Amino acid sequence: MSATAVVPSFSSLDAAIAVLSLAATVWIGLRVKRYVGTIEDYLVASRGMGLYVGAASLLSTEVGIITYMYQAQFGFVAGFSAFAVGLITLAVCLLVGRTGFVITRLREMEILTVPEYFEKRYGRAVRVLAGVLMAVGGSLNLGIFPIIEARFLAVVTGIPARYLGWTMAALLVIALAYTAIGGMVSLIVTNYVQYVFLAAGTVIVTLVCLREVGWSGMVAAVESHGSGRGFDPVADLGGGFIFWQILLWIALMTVWQSVAMRTFSTRDAAVGKKMFTLTGFLFLGRAILPMAWGIAALAFFWGRATPAVAPPAATPLLRIEQVDARLAETFSRDLEDGRLERALPQVDLLDRLARAEAPRSPEAARFVDKAGERRGEIGLLAMPWMLAATLPTGILGLVLAGMLAASISTYAGYFLGWSAIIAQDVVSPLLSRGTPVVSGAEGGFVSEPARSSGSLPVTSSGLSKRARLRLTQVTIVGLTVFIMIWSLVYHLPGPAYFYLQVTANLFMAPTLIAVVGGLYWRRASAAGATLAFVLGALTSLVYLVPSFKVDVATAGNLSWALAVAGFVAGSFLVPGRPFPTVPKEGKP
Amino acid sequence: MSWALFWLVSFVVAFAAFGVISLLIAVRGVAEIRELFASLEEERRRRAP
Repeated sequence: MSATAVVPSFSSLDAAIAVLSLAATVWIGLRVKRYVGTIEDYLVASRGMGLYVGAASLLSTEVGIITYMYQAQFGFVAGFSAFAVGLITLAVCLLVGRTGFVITRLREMEILTVPEYFEKRYGRAVRVLAGVLMAVGGSLNLGIFPIIEARFLAVVTGIPARYLGWTMAALLVIALAYTAIGGMVSLIVTNYVQYVFLAAGTVIVTLVCLREVGWSGMVAAVESHGSGRGFDPVADLGGGFIFWQILLWIALMTVWQSVAMRTFSTRDAAVGKKMFTLTGFLFLGRAILPMAWGIAALAFFWGRATPAVAPPAATPLLRIEQVDARLAETFSRDLEDGRLERALPQVDLLDRLARAEAPRSPEAARFVDKAGERRGEIGLLAMPWMLAATLPTGILGLVLAGMLAASISTYAGYFLGWSAIIAQDVVSPLLSRGTPVVSGAEGGFVSEPARSSGSLPVTSSGLSKRARLRLTQVTIVGLTVFIMIWSLVYHLPGPAYFYLQVTANLFMAPTLIAVVGGLYWRRASAAGATLAFVLGALTSLVYLVPSFKVDVATAGNLSWALAVAGFVAGSFLVPGRPFPTVPKEGKP
Repeated sequence: MSWALFWLVSFVVAFAAFGVISLLIAVRGVAEIRELFASLEEERRRRAP
């Protein structure tokens, strides 16, 4: 079977467009440093963020090249059923935006990080425990972004592999430069500019997909090559997966640090609520549009493919092994050169033969899994290869500028978010034993130490505000160095999606449960919160033990269930000190 | 309504909403950034000795 390698049309004009957009971003980011004087300016821009800029900042932080890649991969593999996740994000954003669930209470407390609430409610030990889990999970989560994104850049620009490490390092340093100096003020302003690039790139790619393949082409591809799946999300993804996604998105929209920091930065709680309502539709696009790109890539490469023919062999199992051996010779090279129209039919053939034989032979079932893994690998790179094959010079530069803007804003937002946790919730409390490291106003049910002191001071810490600001800046530099090293030395053992879920799940379920329980349940205690964090984190690690063979959704749901059970059991068995029966401002 | 039609409607809503809200952000965001700078400048002056 003949197939030609894709040669990207990336030219010096495209490079110039991308470099200029980056230079403009850095220039703007560095110019605003004079506005940063205190830790409140640095972490939450003195809580002066408006609705539209807030929406831009929130979305550009939560969209990077990696987001486009795994969403497109999901669409490529699961077809239109993947869109259900987009609808879930919209529903969750509207719920949070309309009701102010969690975010209103947290915003009114004027805290800087989510774990800071835990010190107010449960005491310092819970804050530090949550901070450590968030710092570890968040940093490891961020650690693979450069690995995945480098693959996108390699495909679209044709940069040789030996320069990719340096390219990614340069991008990280750019994000570091203005984040470390200007903090949230720099982020808000650069996020706005980056959002404009990001949105333009997203619209252009969507239009290109519609022009190249068309909606009917996408539907036909899923009908023909989806193995009878791709339209019904409940049948394809399962009720357990959908339920887990709902829980996960509620947690992401309320207590994920980079999202929560945007809530804390808004002018007031009302602006925060409106921001979520508005952003809900952007998050819908964040999911559905790149998923549609993945489906378009499926249609694009199947449109160029010719069916693979099974080799003649004595037995079905032998035939399967021969197809697998043929794939082993060509698959990696085809992925590297963009010959997906050759790889796809062979993977499809392997899948069909193995599925037909699997009921009779356990050995054949193994090849079903192998075909699935290879389909996933193709899915990750299909969208970038389609862009490389279809976008003309100039437009490619604009799209690349949008993608780089998306990525750098994500790095910058996550640098600030996770380093704030490390500095404010782990290092700072340990350096200032005995005094609460809290900021802002009292809210919800407040712990005994905080109440006994009368009212909470704006900042009462062993470290001065200036020292905390410097500590956060130093942490950002340290985190950047860690990410660079991690992305160079770490090799992903499996799909990126799997790794991202493991690292996020370390703290997502217990964080939301401890926040919601603390805000809305008087009996919640430090013992309950501690148990929730321990059980939630341990259950997530079940993913890493291959002998358990627990799928992502089951382990995710189990993590939630055990975190709830631990929280309730711990709170009943070891009750906390009595809390006020009527909280501040008469709120229930 | 078939699944295919349902996903088509979802896609159209997502694409249209993304485009319109992005345009709103691009237009109205500039004024909000100016306001943010003004408030930060005021805060800076207030803090100055």
